[in-house]
Amino acid sequence: MTRSLKLTGQALALVAVAGLLGLLVWRLTHQTHAPKIGGPAPNFTLRRIDGSGKLDLASLRGKPVVINFWASWCVPCKGEAKMLEQAWRQYRSQGVVFVGVDYHDVKSDARTFLTHHGITYPTVQDGSGMIGDRYGLTGVPETYFVDRNGRLVGTHIVGTITNQAKQFRSGIRAALHQ
Amino acid sequence: MTLKILAVAAAALALAGPAAACAHPKTSLSYLEGQIMCPTCHTTLDMSEAPAAQQIKAEISRRIAQCWSAKQIEDELIGNFGQGILAAPPHKGFDLLAWWLPIGGVLAGGALLAVGVWRWSRTRVSDTEPPPDLDPETDRQIDELLARMD
Repeated sequence: MTRSLKLTGQALALVAVAGLLGLLVWRLTHQTHAPKIGGPAPNFTLRRIDGSGKLDLASLRGKPVVINFWASWCVPCKGEAKMLEQAWRQYRSQGVVFVGVDYHDVKSDARTFLTHHGITYPTVQDGSGMIGDRYGLTGVPETYFVDRNGRLVGTHIVGTITNQAKQFRSGIRAALHQ
Repeated sequence: MTLKILAVAAAALALAGPAAACAHPKTSLSYLEGQIMCPTCHTTLDMSEAPAAQQIKAEISRRIAQCWSAKQIEDELIGNFGQGILAAPPHKGFDLLAWWLPIGGVLAGGALLAVGVWRWSRTRVSDTEPPPDLDPETDRQIDELLARMD
């Protein structure tokens, strides 16, 4: 009786340790790493906040894409909103698509932001921040450039594009010509 | 005439705002601040002054003023930010594991401890039993030794 109890206890302990090890391995193999330039842009399908329906990044394959992460509570994002809209109007005739990704934000405030700043390019909501995490976001605003093949190109911009206008233009050019 | 109608309509609209305000709020900001996480700083709202936290507090205040219940506000925030916005997992479905596993762990640990203590106490009892009698030869040698010491 005592021996079988002891064996059961040992078996349970082994199962518990194996479970914890499994969790550790799963965590280590599923860690998100910032995507590399030249590598594929992490895909997403997110709800649009500038209209109805969802936007799938994969559906934009064949077009250069500028992805701008922002939030209505982010003060620097207000500063770059006008320049982003101007750039979108300037480059859309060349087939460039701008996508705003609203990060960790209240939807109603985000819509007010879009109206207030006259943003007309498609904007999606990343309320949980999961897509931002996949891109290795360190904060907002951040801007990424994706070429026609769905690969990240140029140098991704941490902070406002207004302070890094040169890199912003070269990022769009890289997306257009690669 | 049209101007008068417009003026009356505008006045009615202006009064409708305060009238729609909640006279008996169903929850409070201080309660929800402890239940909701700040998505960018990973602490509860009451521990955070981050801009994202301030924005969510403002949203909660607006909903409280509209007489929303805590459940309604939490549901809206979950729809907006996902389940991770809640400081504690809900008491249903798979999330129940998060509540029951620690309790199960504590109970299992307590049971193991109880068994260990019980077995240890039994060992101690057997330790205190009187030692077996010495054999006559050893007994005699000890007596001789003690006699010499006297």
